[in-house]
Amino acid sequence: MHQLLTAINEQSWTARRVDTVKADERALDQFLKAVERRALRMADMATGNREEALDLVQDAMFGFVRHYAAKPSAEWAPLFYRVLDSRLNDWHRRRQVRSRWMSFFSSAPADDEMDPVAQAPDLQEPGPLARVAGNEIGQALEAALVRLPLRQRQAFLLRMWEGLDVAATAVAMRCSEGSVKTHLSRALAHLRRDLEAHYE
Amino acid sequence: MNNENDSAWLTQATTALDESARDLDAATLSRLNRARQAALQQKRSRRLSWMLPAGLASACAMVLAIGVWHGAVREPELPTLPNAELAHSVNWSNGADDLEMVANEDNIELYQDLDFYAWLDTQNQEHDG
Repeated sequence: MHQLLTAINEQSWTARRVDTVKADERALDQFLKAVERRALRMADMATGNREEALDLVQDAMFGFVRHYAAKPSAEWAPLFYRVLDSRLNDWHRRRQVRSRWMSFFSSAPADDEMDPVAQAPDLQEPGPLARVAGNEIGQALEAALVRLPLRQRQAFLLRMWEGLDVAATAVAMRCSEGSVKTHLSRALAHLRRDLEAHYE
Repeated sequence: MNNENDSAWLTQATTALDESARDLDAATLSRLNRARQAALQQKRSRRLSWMLPAGLASACAMVLAIGVWHGAVREPELPTLPNAELAHSVNWSNGADDLEMVANEDNIELYQDLDFYAWLDTQNQEHDG
């Protein structure tokens, strides 16, 4: 009889576990839905290429779900951006290596598709931000953000746009809180200088 | 524009960023949706890899427990004799008589002296003969 009760308890535990897992999955879906657009815009600005940005966001989602989905939901945002930041850094590293190889073989005629200059984001072309804003300010802001170094841009976007605090931004960027403050301060100084004419 | 005026232009900047994220085209939103579903599917697949054996183990444990419990409450079977003829000679249905015999203290003494009564019976028959 005891064995029967044990087996019944085990069955009900499994049922409860399935319910919990479904609730977790719903919460995870909601979280990813909430961050995916901002993540894409961050990747847009980092790569200047929508397709590359979509691939990076998808990679970030996979990495986040694989490594951090079991963490408490309060920790998800910095951890998701940590994965995205890692993917963006990898992308830039690969791009730099490719640029070095291209400069090494600079005597050879380069294919347009492999030309890093051709692949660099065009600062004159109005990006999504400029198109949405539909005015000079939007275009200036887009261009100023694209011009920022990656770490400064990430610090600005995570702190000022995503609303993470300094500690969470440090987790996302895998650096100290002091570094976050330094990156943010420099980013704000650059943006102030670049946008001064538009916001006065 | 100075540090004190940051909040004004920062508000405008974040509003513009919000709008750019909100007004993504349908194709991009579809790609994002597919990426999200693929990530969640990956999680489901990883979960199934342990839930299936766990479910099977639970079902097996349940069946085993029912089997053991069912066996425990059944009446024990009477021992069978290997020889059919011998089995026929023994009347197992007399269990109630045996119980009555054991329960009565006088009967036990009677059965303990069965040999004596058998000898006495023989003597009586010889005497009658």
